[in-house]
Amino acid sequence: MKTLRLANFGMQGMVGEALTPEIVIDFAAAFGTFLNRETVLVGRDTRQSSRMLRSAVIAGLTSTGCRVLDFGVCPTPMLQFSAERYSAAGAVSISGGHNPMGWNAVQLISSTGAFIEPVGGDTVLDIYHGRDFERAAWNTIGVVEEVNDFTGPYFDALLEFVDTDAIRSADFSAVIDPVNGAGCRFVEPFSKRLGVKTIPINHEESGYLAHEPEPRPRNARQVANLMNVVPSNIGFVASSDMGRLSIVSELGETASEEYTFSIIANHVLGKQSGVVVTNCCTTRTIDEVASRHGSVVVKTRVGQAYILSAMADEQGVLGGEGNGSVAMPEFSRAFDAFLMMGLILEAMATCGARASELVAALPRYHMVKRKVSGESHRCYQAIDRLSRNETWSGGGTPSTVDGLRVDWEDGWVHLRASHTEPVVRVISESKSKDEAENRADEATRLLEHVL
Amino acid sequence: MRDTPKVGISGVRGIAGSSFTPQLATSFAQAFGTYVGPGSVLVGRDTRRSGPMIENAVITGLQSTGCKPLLAGVVPTPTLLVMTPRLGARGGIAITASHNPEQWNALKFIDENGTFLTPSRASELYDVYHQREFRMVPEHDISEPSVPRDCVEPHFQEILNYVDIEAIRKRPVKVAADCCNGVGAIHTPRFLEHFNCDFVACGLSVTGQFDREPEPLPHNLGTLSELVTSHGADIGFAQDPDGDRLAIVDEKGTPIGEDLTVALAVRQVLDAHEKGPVVVHLSTSRCIRAVAESYGCPVHLSKIGEINVTEKMLETGAVVGGESNGGVIIPAIHPCRDSYAAMAVVLELLAKTGKRVSELRAEIPTFVLVRDKIPIEIEDAVNALRSVRRHYDDRDLNLMDGVHVDFDDRWFHTRISNTEPVVRITAEAPDEKGALALIKEVRGLIEGVANI
Repeated sequence: MKTLRLANFGMQGMVGEALTPEIVIDFAAAFGTFLNRETVLVGRDTRQSSRMLRSAVIAGLTSTGCRVLDFGVCPTPMLQFSAERYSAAGAVSISGGHNPMGWNAVQLISSTGAFIEPVGGDTVLDIYHGRDFERAAWNTIGVVEEVNDFTGPYFDALLEFVDTDAIRSADFSAVIDPVNGAGCRFVEPFSKRLGVKTIPINHEESGYLAHEPEPRPRNARQVANLMNVVPSNIGFVASSDMGRLSIVSELGETASEEYTFSIIANHVLGKQSGVVVTNCCTTRTIDEVASRHGSVVVKTRVGQAYILSAMADEQGVLGGEGNGSVAMPEFSRAFDAFLMMGLILEAMATCGARASELVAALPRYHMVKRKVSGESHRCYQAIDRLSRNETWSGGGTPSTVDGLRVDWEDGWVHLRASHTEPVVRVISESKSKDEAENRADEATRLLEHVL
Repeated sequence: MRDTPKVGISGVRGIAGSSFTPQLATSFAQAFGTYVGPGSVLVGRDTRRSGPMIENAVITGLQSTGCKPLLAGVVPTPTLLVMTPRLGARGGIAITASHNPEQWNALKFIDENGTFLTPSRASELYDVYHQREFRMVPEHDISEPSVPRDCVEPHFQEILNYVDIEAIRKRPVKVAADCCNGVGAIHTPRFLEHFNCDFVACGLSVTGQFDREPEPLPHNLGTLSELVTSHGADIGFAQDPDGDRLAIVDEKGTPIGEDLTVALAVRQVLDAHEKGPVVVHLSTSRCIRAVAESYGCPVHLSKIGEINVTEKMLETGAVVGGESNGGVIIPAIHPCRDSYAAMAVVLELLAKTGKRVSELRAEIPTFVLVRDKIPIEIEDAVNALRSVRRHYDDRDLNLMDGVHVDFDDRWFHTRISNTEPVVRITAEAPDEKGALALIKEVRGLIEGVANI
């Protein structure tokens, strides 16, 4: 089976196998048809294949009569931030994000900067399937203009949004690892303008990623090792699109990416309570942090577009996922590693807390993740069967927002068919490590039996 | 005729936004990348509005097969032909519909030697396209496009090395040029500076649209004629949008016609450079044969189509030739049409002889050439040509491309068009009456068969 995945937020797959130029041109032409000859922003990360896909996207968009503003190498959140400012009808970001080398993705962004609303994305897919694209006549083919000066307004707004004075006077030092991705050229202006002495690593736009681009402890070792030699207040590891972030404390301890959202929630909700939006398999730490500050948590299906959409519905102040992504609609409708870094530095500066203390202040849970193999078209049925198995879920509260989640007093289990692999993902979290393992084992056993 | 892409020996053409889409261009670029193998491919375009879109489509298609695009940008088609072998590229793609109107665009495929794909190689490429099993490389084998250093100047240097540049500089003439809002608008002024020519021009804005019909036919050259007379220029040069064809206007503002443009170039090459065979295609005016014969040089005829002329020239070791539409070919520079090479040898002719263009024109025997076409169904067309052939069976027949019949002082050529549902007839005689009589005779034969 090939790796192509085409959904209402965009498309992703392996380059040279699933993501062919024809498919990408057609998909861009479908989006261009949907946008009806308006202006579209195009940005990309630094991957070897991103330049190629950019040409395909631009060819497809201009053929439908859309005017293209080409941002070149641009982190996805900066492109999202710019959508309203450039009065764009939409934007296309080309970035493999947290996926390994060899993968890439084309993400569709709406005029507000959020990922396209699922219902809009469905319409784009319908146009793609019908292949009845708008075709601009030769003299109305869209023009392409390059945009190079988008960082100024972005950083101006970011400096306005966080407590820049507090951060500057704290005189922080940091190690930042943008994994040779879209963030490389923006690490230095970010650090300079916030007055943070920064050692950047893996900040060459070589086309190759320095390590797996998923920000998580095993990929944060280079930062941690460096911090053992050059003491710094904090270390940051970002994904190749600057959409996800994990931290390393001043002690050189790598923190799970699950903590990024909770640290920021703990800080932001302390200043301003409100609705928090997350997906249905994020750590219960976030529920505790929210209730600590008198805030409500709303849970959505897995997928960032759903979170951004629910944040707009519920007028949430904060949204995020356990993979190290946070968005604040008051700043932009994007999961943004620069914003996350700014907020964490602000938390350290205004509370006078070390990075390790921000982590220690969070309620502790133990999380276990498992995969159960099964043919993809059987996974949904298997989960369905389990949802009716009351001996297993007895005493818990089931929820079928996305897959199956059962909550007990001291923890929860979530089962979900993966969209990218033929597996069911099992996540179990509990106050006690043994209990988390037991519940994961039990769910795995039952799934294996059914599959 | 339906608006379909036209795939043939001169590449893939169509109307941008209807029959010529980025999807089509990408698939052909993938086929070309698969066909030539991983390596660099030179890509350039003319100034058409659809150019950047098609260029992006070509880049993405080439990259996906592991080829490295070398982006020459907006350059003359002959520049791409010269530079493809020089840069060690596996091939080249010219994005231009040449003399077709502005809504058209096309891909023309260049081989590693710097000529367009021969018909046999083109059909291999089209097989790859139709089989749709394009090579796809994983991410780490994708090559970033690069921009080679100035491509145009080395091309111009080849031409400057060929002509006696000092002679031209010593007797500079005043040139008026119509760059047709094409590649010439960017490169022609710089080219003419090499000769110290005093220079006025029109068609210099680059907007993606053309101020005149892009084919340099006499009736499209009104602006240039005015420019010549109002500025007292010695000669007017009219290019097409991609700079492969040239037409000349004399110092009185009269277009001399594309056939005579080629004839002047042929005369100068045979006179000052090298004597040898001359190649033109079957529908070319006999004035070129007259020039060649006055130097004792043989003339060989080829099928219609630039690549056919090129192949015949290489086969016969020709020293000069071309297409009657103003496409001058000088193989010592490179074996394809080049308006810059044509300008240079004609300037050299003016400098060496010291004569006016109208005088030089008067020295070449003139004939009257008449072109006609008859709309017809394809099956009828085939039968009609058979009937013409049988009618002239006892004459001097050439059947390599349609029917060409030579009489003592006149000839005609009739063939089925590659681009329109018509049969074309070209006839030439010493006077207009004779040419029209020939046309009428052939027309009658064709219409008799087709019951028109």
